[in-house]
Amino acid sequence: MMAGMRLSLLIASFALATAAHGADLTAGQAKAKEICQACHGLDGNSAVADYPKLGGQYPDYLAKALRDYKSGARKNPIMAGFAGALTAQDIDNLAAYYSSQPAVLARKY
Amino acid sequence: MTRYFAIALLLSLPALASAQTPAQPAAAAPAGDPQKGREKTRMCEGCHGIEGWRTAYPEVYRVPKLGGQHEAYLTSALKEYKSGARSHPSMRAIAGGLSDADIADLAAYYAQGGVKTASQ
Repeated sequence: MMAGMRLSLLIASFALATAAHGADLTAGQAKAKEICQACHGLDGNSAVADYPKLGGQYPDYLAKALRDYKSGARKNPIMAGFAGALTAQDIDNLAAYYSSQPAVLARKY
Repeated sequence: MTRYFAIALLLSLPALASAQTPAQPAAAAPAGDPQKGREKTRMCEGCHGIEGWRTAYPEVYRVPKLGGQHEAYLTSALKEYKSGARSHPSMRAIAGGLSDADIADLAAYYAQGGVKTASQ
């Protein structure tokens, strides 16, 4: 009885945790390898000054940027092509993945 | 008479010299001064200086971290806000009031923030 309750609690909390995040870091990394890595680096520390560093950036900002590129609200010929091919789930996964990388961006500002 | 001629010749030398110098590329950006940039952050730090600060309008998300970002990217972002190519209302208003020198200084300041280098 007690064990059963514990198990259901565990399952419930796991379900809550995944629902809260809804992002798959492994899938995000796979997509990053496939699409983003060449310019932004796999850890988000892009070596090219024109391409922003993404590692450690806030995930909601990264997701918003990708959604804006996809919708055309933010215009960039390179990013429009890449973001246009992403699903909403890809965007959440990528944002979560890059934000989870060791911060190359400062914490405070 | 000869003296006046000599003076006129002297005065015209710089003009002649500059006429022969090839034109500087128009894209030559002014080098940013991080110290000056630091003094210009008053308009920025109300949002970008508070960890985890969220925008209120038109969408809610945390404002991006800038410290340690590439200088060239920061410069182009501010210029895009200034020109209207990027559309965030607050950023357009703030960047609209910045000169090219302000933008260069701010980009230099934020780019050197955050990531420690061996020389620091």
